Amino acid sequence: MPTISFFQKDFEGLLGRSAPLEQLESWLPLVKGELKDYTRATGEVRLELQDSNRPDLWSVEGIARQIRIKLEGSPPAYPFLQTRTKPKRSILVAEGLERVRPYVAACTATGHTVTEESLTQLIQAQEKLADLYGHKRKTVSVGLYRLSQIQFPVTYGLVKPTEARFTPLGLSEKLTLQEILTVHPKGIEYGFILADQPLLPLLWDTEGRILSFPPIINSQDIGQVHAGDSDLLVEVTGTDMRMVLLTLNVFATNLADRGAVIDPIDIQYPYDTEWGKSIRTPCDISEVQKIPLKAIDSALGLPFDAELVQQTLRAYGYEVKASRHILAVRLPHYRSDLMHPVDVAEDVAISRGYDSFVPVMPAQFTVGSLSSLEMMSDYIRDHMIGQGFQEIFSNILLSHEELVERMRLPAGDHVVEVDNVMSQSFSCLRSWILPSLLRVETASPRAFYPHRLFEIGEVAIPDSTHELGSRTMVQLGVVIAHPHANFSEVHTCLDVLMFYLVKDYELEPLSHGSFLDGRAGTILSQGQSVGLIGELHPEVLENWGISVPISVFELDVDWLCSESS
Amino acid sequence: MQTSAVYDSLHPLEINLLAAFSQSADKPVSDSSLQEISRLESSQVSMALGWLQAKELVRIHSEVTTAWVALTEVGHRYLEIGSPPEWIVRTCRQGAEEERSFTVKELQGLNTFPPAELSRAFGLLKKEGAIALGAGGRIEATGTASPTIEKLQTLLNRMKESPQELLSFSPDQQALLRQYAVKRGSAQEPFRIDDRVQREYTPTKTGKALAKRCHAGAVEEVSQLTPEMLKDGSWRSKRFRKYTISLRPPRVAPGRRHPYREFLDLVKHKLVAMGFQEMRGPLVETEFWDMDALYMPQFHPARAIHDVYFVKTPTHAETIAEPFLSQVAAAHEHGGPTGSSGWGYRYDTERARRLILRSQGTAVSARTLASNPLVPGKYFSMARCFRYDQVDATHATDFFQIEGIVLGDDINFRTLLGLLTSFAKEMAQAEESKFFPAYFPFTEPSVELHVRHPKLGWMELGGAGLFRPEVTQPLGVTVPVIAWGLGLDRMAMVALGIHDIRELFSVDLEKIRTLRGRFA
Repeated sequence: MPTISFFQKDFEGLLGRSAPLEQLESWLPLVKGELKDYTRATGEVRLELQDSNRPDLWSVEGIARQIRIKLEGSPPAYPFLQTRTKPKRSILVAEGLERVRPYVAACTATGHTVTEESLTQLIQAQEKLADLYGHKRKTVSVGLYRLSQIQFPVTYGLVKPTEARFTPLGLSEKLTLQEILTVHPKGIEYGFILADQPLLPLLWDTEGRILSFPPIINSQDIGQVHAGDSDLLVEVTGTDMRMVLLTLNVFATNLADRGAVIDPIDIQYPYDTEWGKSIRTPCDISEVQKIPLKAIDSALGLPFDAELVQQTLRAYGYEVKASRHILAVRLPHYRSDLMHPVDVAEDVAISRGYDSFVPVMPAQFTVGSLSSLEMMSDYIRDHMIGQGFQEIFSNILLSHEELVERMRLPAGDHVVEVDNVMSQSFSCLRSWILPSLLRVETASPRAFYPHRLFEIGEVAIPDSTHELGSRTMVQLGVVIAHPHANFSEVHTCLDVLMFYLVKDYELEPLSHGSFLDGRAGTILSQGQSVGLIGELHPEVLENWGISVPISVFELDVDWLCSESS
Repeated sequence: MQTSAVYDSLHPLEINLLAAFSQSADKPVSDSSLQEISRLESSQVSMALGWLQAKELVRIHSEVTTAWVALTEVGHRYLEIGSPPEWIVRTCRQGAEEERSFTVKELQGLNTFPPAELSRAFGLLKKEGAIALGAGGRIEATGTASPTIEKLQTLLNRMKESPQELLSFSPDQQALLRQYAVKRGSAQEPFRIDDRVQREYTPTKTGKALAKRCHAGAVEEVSQLTPEMLKDGSWRSKRFRKYTISLRPPRVAPGRRHPYREFLDLVKHKLVAMGFQEMRGPLVETEFWDMDALYMPQFHPARAIHDVYFVKTPTHAETIAEPFLSQVAAAHEHGGPTGSSGWGYRYDTERARRLILRSQGTAVSARTLASNPLVPGKYFSMARCFRYDQVDATHATDFFQIEGIVLGDDINFRTLLGLLTSFAKEMAQAEESKFFPAYFPFTEPSVELHVRHPKLGWMELGGAGLFRPEVTQPLGVTVPVIAWGLGLDRMAMVALGIHDIRELFSVDLEKIRTLRGRFA
């Protein structure tokens, strides 16, 4: 989740009071923020915001607002939502965009002279929202412009890739949209969003000046805001209308909190949307929801008085009307994360403070137990330790080479492989324990001998008849390594283990690439194959760079378990 | 230690050596003399001297470095066939008797000595006038004796049997020896001069006192009691050597649990003691059980290709069990009957079947919720999980998540805090804990648990919350459910004294054998 940085002084200005670090930290639970860093000399604060459903908190303005509401006990009014006069400005949406990037929302912000600091914050919010909330600009992207250079109405339309040319941010020459997608770094990074589109979205004003090529890049001339500018246009485009509207609301509110006057803009669609064909943005997208008071009570484990809940929620930004049993709640216009009454319950708890709840131990009686597989594993573990073996505990992602080629198994031998490989060394789930133990042997020629190692752990065995394509099994792997290690020694270990497990077994000669011919066997119990035993083939040892003989066995623990239950 | 106690701990070799000092009236004795007097092997003498010095019974009296001269292989050859000058003169004389003469080249052609040795000899003989070059470069023995030939012969003979001290030779001889000794750049020489350290030892005050009690072969000491001695009773007449028990014993590698497993076992048993039942699940999971069932929307940023490992083949499970698939789909799309608005997007059932490596232990909880869990019920799992992360000191390729659920009609936010408080006490021996609001897609309210660990101070111990109804109801559970997860690896690492998470799964056997944890 996003980490943002801001200056304490800026924060204090937005909060309207001083906020020493300690004080700031005590408020962080209100915004699910975690202090990552604080530079005393500059007053720079770095915060990680945890809630991925609260993009309004991913900016210093939003954080200050949430805390200010708590300190003041009720949310402020935002006049731009109440105004009834028809907006002076409009954006006309062209036919066909419903198939490309259907929605746009915009407003103007005037009267606030942008400072270096407020500009940094605007750009930070723009980046974080478009990247995380807007899924790397796919669902939502944001543009900021100098209002003075734009003549309304603005058109949000479609053009052919070679039809329009403008100077994109960061360059000095005019490029076509096609060229921007192939040459400009942002075009290369975000071009995937418009892949295979014959026509591309573009914003231009009534005099034909291009504002931007959403969601790729703004124009160098109009779409670059500087400190000292006082009149801005904020525009959001995207594929999810609610998210587009919400994002604009967040920016409008942030700028209003800095003292700007927000004027709405009329958006005219040629096609139907959830909010109609003509919509004034910003707009209040939240709806009143009725929630039984007892839903809050039972979630939080306290009988709440309706009055108290109303007060608590108002101090968290909600609009609330409470009757005796029912709460009519409405989220502020910059939030859209109320899916279920439990979401309101959490906000009640956060607003009151988690520390104000007295913990109660769950009182109902339950019986604890380990799974039979874990009990069997523990039993075998104890036994192997008694036989003088060191337990090994391994990572279970290995390379295909370690699992198959080095073991002299046929190249076609199937193991569970990862598709999006990060490193070949961790590209497969182990299908047996032995390669994990050989990794230890390869790394440990200097540890004094004998080496007697075992591991009990999970493996994934490909199985086309299983619904997941593989079975997760628990197996025991045993390795004996020293200058005189041989079959007989490891056989003795297996034999005494089986004796104490009260299992009859026999060995059937096995021809297997990993083992010396005539010195390997399948472990059979009641006719079923439950493991294998043998002396490792010298070539396997060479493949692993091991220079002592090794004898091994591997035993299926799931079987032992199903047998005994 | 008392003198008698020291005496009892003496090894027979040490007694023999002390006796040798006693015979020499406690005067400084060289190791070679000690060897002579005690009649011990030279290795035994040096071993026993080492022990006696360690016990401060004997000390080095003096240390003299002397130069000794010995014959090299070349020298032994000179003894056999003569030195090169001698050989040249002899060969030329013999030739003259047979009316034959040789050129330098012809002598070299006989291959008796390397050319370099011959040229030096020619030079020498000419200088001493023992040979002259006649017509056609033919060598003639003049009849004048070469003093060097005789001197060399004397030296070779003197060292025939054994090396000699350099200083026992006259200065003249010493110069010649140096000239014909092996040095850098001339390895083919008849003599070698080596430095030898000669030490004289003398007993310390305690050593002298003990030496008086020692005489060679004083007692018959045995080190090992044998079955024979027990059988015939001969042990009664034996003296058993006393051991120096303060010495470290030899190392062994015992059978042993893995130290990280030891830690996890402790946690496991604590959880069972707290009434939790173990649950298990598969390593390969569907996105459905790993994420969809936990109400993580399919567009959630943490579900992208750079967060989760996808399985190569097969890519998809054939089916997802009903009614869970439909009910979870409904919860995602519009909330279904859960009272939620849902995420409001089109749920993709194909995506739900995509196979991945389990990315979170909560997948196991989801499966448990869907299989008629006990109510009231407490469950835990220690699930191996996989994340698409670059491996470093804090990220492993695969790791364990310890997590679980609590079901019951008395479950609410306060009982959640109660459970976390007891986790703080049981898992971290913490008397103080703090709760912070947190965010997980599948719980609401969500809590982060911070505790004051007695050694580590304030630390995050885990995250928890109440499962959203969008999680529980589609899986058929109608009571509230706590979901909790504990992050204990840091505690494990501190207890084991390691700083890199990769060392929890080390492949270095020496490290595994020597890692110890104090977990209690």
